[in-house]
Amino acid sequence: MFELNAYLPILLMFVVAIVFAVGNVALSQVVGQRKQTRTKLMPYECGKDPVGSARERFSVKFYLIAMIFILFDIELIFLMPWAVVFRTLVTNGLGTLVYVEMMLFVALLLVGYVYVLKKGLFNWSESARREAEAEGRVLAEMDSRRQAQRAPVTRAA
Amino acid sequence: MNLSLAFQLMAQPDVNFALILPEVIVSIAGVLVMMVDAFSRRADQRWATGGLSLAGLLGAAGACLWLWSGGAGERVTAFNGMVVLDRLRLSFTLVFIIVSALTVLISMIWVERERLPAGEFHSLLLFATAGMMLMASGGDLVIVFLGLEVLSIATYVMAGFRRTDTRSNESSLKYFILGSFSSAFLLYGIALVYGGTAVNTPGGISAGTTNISEIAARLDDGMYPPLIFAGAAMMLVGFGFKIATAPFHVWTPDVYEGAPTPVTAFMAAGPKAAGFAAFMRVFLFAFPFAVAATGTATSAQVHAAWLGALSVIAILTMTVGNVVALVQRNVKRMLAYSSIAHAGYALVGFVAAGATGDATQQSDAVAAVVFYLLAYALMNLGAFAVVTMIARGGDRRTEIEDYYGIGFRAPVLSFALSIFLLSLLGVPLTAGFMGKVVVFREALSQGFASGNQLLVALVVIGVLNTAVSVYYYLGLIVAMFFRERTTEWSAPRVPASISVTLALTVLGVFYLGIFPGRVIDAFRSVQTTAVTRLK
Repeated sequence: MFELNAYLPILLMFVVAIVFAVGNVALSQVVGQRKQTRTKLMPYECGKDPVGSARERFSVKFYLIAMIFILFDIELIFLMPWAVVFRTLVTNGLGTLVYVEMMLFVALLLVGYVYVLKKGLFNWSESARREAEAEGRVLAEMDSRRQAQRAPVTRAA
Repeated sequence: MNLSLAFQLMAQPDVNFALILPEVIVSIAGVLVMMVDAFSRRADQRWATGGLSLAGLLGAAGACLWLWSGGAGERVTAFNGMVVLDRLRLSFTLVFIIVSALTVLISMIWVERERLPAGEFHSLLLFATAGMMLMASGGDLVIVFLGLEVLSIATYVMAGFRRTDTRSNESSLKYFILGSFSSAFLLYGIALVYGGTAVNTPGGISAGTTNISEIAARLDDGMYPPLIFAGAAMMLVGFGFKIATAPFHVWTPDVYEGAPTPVTAFMAAGPKAAGFAAFMRVFLFAFPFAVAATGTATSAQVHAAWLGALSVIAILTMTVGNVVALVQRNVKRMLAYSSIAHAGYALVGFVAAGATGDATQQSDAVAAVVFYLLAYALMNLGAFAVVTMIARGGDRRTEIEDYYGIGFRAPVLSFALSIFLLSLLGVPLTAGFMGKVVVFREALSQGFASGNQLLVALVVIGVLNTAVSVYYYLGLIVAMFFRERTTEWSAPRVPASISVTLALTVLGVFYLGIFPGRVIDAFRSVQTTAVTRLK
């Protein structure tokens, strides 16, 4: 039912790759010389002496920025094939539809951008603290409002 | 698909925005809620975003009913077969809208109490709803998968919505890892079916297909039948995970317990129904009962294989859910196992729908499953609304001990919860009873008509399981009314939005329990065309 013969070269390719990789490492283990010096055993950091541990914690903001970057990267990936076939589509009388749809797509991404902007993703220090303080005030206000609502109930009880 | 065919398809795109109006409305509402969230002060947000969400859902319901009345039962497809319009889709879409609207109502007070961003929650909920609708409306495996991902990603975030609570984080992470794993199963299954449906035509070997009705047409001509079997099996696993059936249910209690209670309510009702919609759409229409085929044809074998597997899964799901629920001490875990058990009961209807080649019988069975899921959604959301109120801040009080002796101190909450528990158990005059009746009736009548002992056995096991479930449902009622409370307790104030939710769900439970006819007739009437056209 399955014609697996056709895939034999691929299997061979895998075998060759594994043999090559494992073989080279094993060979250098067997015939290679070992002279361990202090300098050789140091972690390699582009020729400079290493400073401190590499296991540092990064602010989560970097990841957020990276995510936004990917978002717009993907947008570009979608724009690319659209741009390539756009002329063909126009000659087929689909220009308006396809143009509007792509603009809608871009607008939706823009909405996401505006959202993160207003949510303060790019306000890193000063303004972030101001916002946190303002939020604290709002929450305190909500708390006191709730206290005020509850007060008459307790009196009645 | 070769390039010239692609251009040809693009040259006549079957664009019909009217057909996806409910999805479009919900998505636009989600985007608007996001913008309100971004541009308004947090203290005022709750009512604005909640109201906007409800308005969007109402608009979607209107669009859905408009499609219902305008469609006249004719099966319509658009976007080159990507989206279909039939009763299966419309009835499920209505269930999703009801679930989301009730979740908005439950969550309105909760987001304030927990100091969570209301706008974010409501927009995620709306996007999840759009995903569920896409799952029900997909005429192509790709759209079904897309809808599933839109739904899942929003739900992963919602499960971890209480960011500072480790239980919520754990729930979100578990759901995310296991959910991605099952999505991968589903996707791999789709890929295998695509490969398996390649056909050798005079003009050369054509590519496979992901279009559901096209798959059904090609089953016997596919060049690689084993791929179809493997693909169907993997899709069975993927969907089985999403609706929490027995061998794939292990994530459910942990995720349901850790997630914030309103989110649990949503997850147990909405995504489960959406999973059923997609599951039934794919298996009933892509691997249908092969009337004309001989026993050795691929279509007949695939059908027999998935039906047998699904029957075993249904038995396991009912039994495991009910038996393990007996020993739970946490109300949310208990309701999680109960939701597994209910998925098992609904699967009986699914098996009945799959076991018949007759279009009318099949559509009746599908309607019974939709009715069951609607009834389950109502009683489940009502029960979780009460659990939300009793759990208080941070979801701390969810043990059964926390329900001791509250019966007459919080009569509204405890009587409402009792009604929902009795309905979940299946006491006559409630929605749960009618749901079980219609599902089991379909299975029994088909079992007797065709001499299919399996269906009869499924019903017997379902009824036995219902007897088992009496213990834990009544146990909670006993805890509320007949146990002494040793600790200090004061009844929570019931806010207006929760009162509305409880009133709606209690009314719904009784309406579906006493006058089920209209709803069932509406669900069942026209779906037949969808089935006949596919043959």
